[in-house]
Amino acid sequence: MALKSLVQMLWVVGIVCQAILGVVLVSKKGWKTFPFFTAYFAVGFTSSVFIYILQRHMKLYFYSYWLMEAIGVALGFAVVYEVFSILFSTHDALRRLATLTFRCVLALLVCIGFVVLLKHTPFSFRGITSAVVTVEESARIIEVGLLMCLFALSSAFGLHWRQQVFGVALGLGIFAAVELITVTVWGQTSNAVHEYLNVVRILGFNTSLLIWIGYLLVPERSVGKVELPQRSQLEQWNQAVMELIKQ
Amino acid sequence: MITLIVIALALGAVGLFYMAVRARRRRAGETVRPVDLKAFRTLVDRDDEMFLKERLPRSSFSRIKRQRVAVTMRYVGRIANNASLVMGLGEAARQSPDLEVAQTAMQIVNLATQLRLQCIMALAKLSMEYAVPSLQLTPALLAPEYQKLRENVVRLGKLQSPTMAPLPIAI
Repeated sequence: MALKSLVQMLWVVGIVCQAILGVVLVSKKGWKTFPFFTAYFAVGFTSSVFIYILQRHMKLYFYSYWLMEAIGVALGFAVVYEVFSILFSTHDALRRLATLTFRCVLALLVCIGFVVLLKHTPFSFRGITSAVVTVEESARIIEVGLLMCLFALSSAFGLHWRQQVFGVALGLGIFAAVELITVTVWGQTSNAVHEYLNVVRILGFNTSLLIWIGYLLVPERSVGKVELPQRSQLEQWNQAVMELIKQ
Repeated sequence: MITLIVIALALGAVGLFYMAVRARRRRAGETVRPVDLKAFRTLVDRDDEMFLKERLPRSSFSRIKRQRVAVTMRYVGRIANNASLVMGLGEAARQSPDLEVAQTAMQIVNLATQLRLQCIMALAKLSMEYAVPSLQLTPALLAPEYQKLRENVVRLGKLQSPTMAPLPIAI
């Protein structure tokens, strides 16, 4: 009973956080920079409120929940694409290589997702829920993998993440990773464990909301307050390079 | 088994995100660090290497070559890091209302990007040399690229206001 109360409380906290994020997005005109993320948020917010209201109508709740979850996953992919586009928009030289790498990783992840879909051990519960959970697990594998690829590429290429873009990617990454863990464990466990997994899922989502709010609100750090080497040192490097070139 | 792999993937992702946050924070206070190109040149000098190869027993040569490669990798890593910092600086300068500053900044970003890619290749080659010391795959193009980048950055520094000048000049 206490656990259900906790779930209800966290759910309400999540809706409040979503409302705050909505205000932040509207005030910052977030739809101009992040159209897919804004759509992702709008669908998430609407579904949270809608599902909260419908929670006593079990059948309607069930279908609405999984429908919204499917739309959420699809929009999640669109957000990953959006982050990728923004990150490489100013790097023409890297974009082609990054796109190629990204496509290869996507193809690999789709294969892994397909294998998981086919080979997954039978779930402890049957019917449509089992199928939906397996599909979601596969989709989350692809989503998490793509986000990992994005972070790895930016690290390898030494790219500078803008504050807001980093926040969007990080929030989505945390949410998708927590979802992947809970959805995977969900299929292997009993109803008693599902209550605890619900708490973890909502906590993961609320954490992501806080990340999004934080990164969208905090202004970009300015560059300039940096310690610089001596000018004489610079002249020495220049001399060394000139010697090297003349060799 | 699949469940464990999937959970490991998810936990790995969380770890990667945490490292990204830490790297971003660390980078905020990072500065362009000096690169001793004379020492770098000595390290990648093939004549020096041939001399050592001829005079030393195979095992000693392998040990020394690995040490040289390890130090060279640190130099390349530093150049890569400097290139990355310049990329960030150039991106900020691209927003300048002064057309000349913006254009020079764009050139710098492109050049820094190329240098960064070259550093990745150089590190890959050096890793191979570290594994097999008898290989000779020194990245010969790296130093001229770095020099070109440096010249462009100095040019941008001259175009910008005096308060912005020290950072570009510092590479």
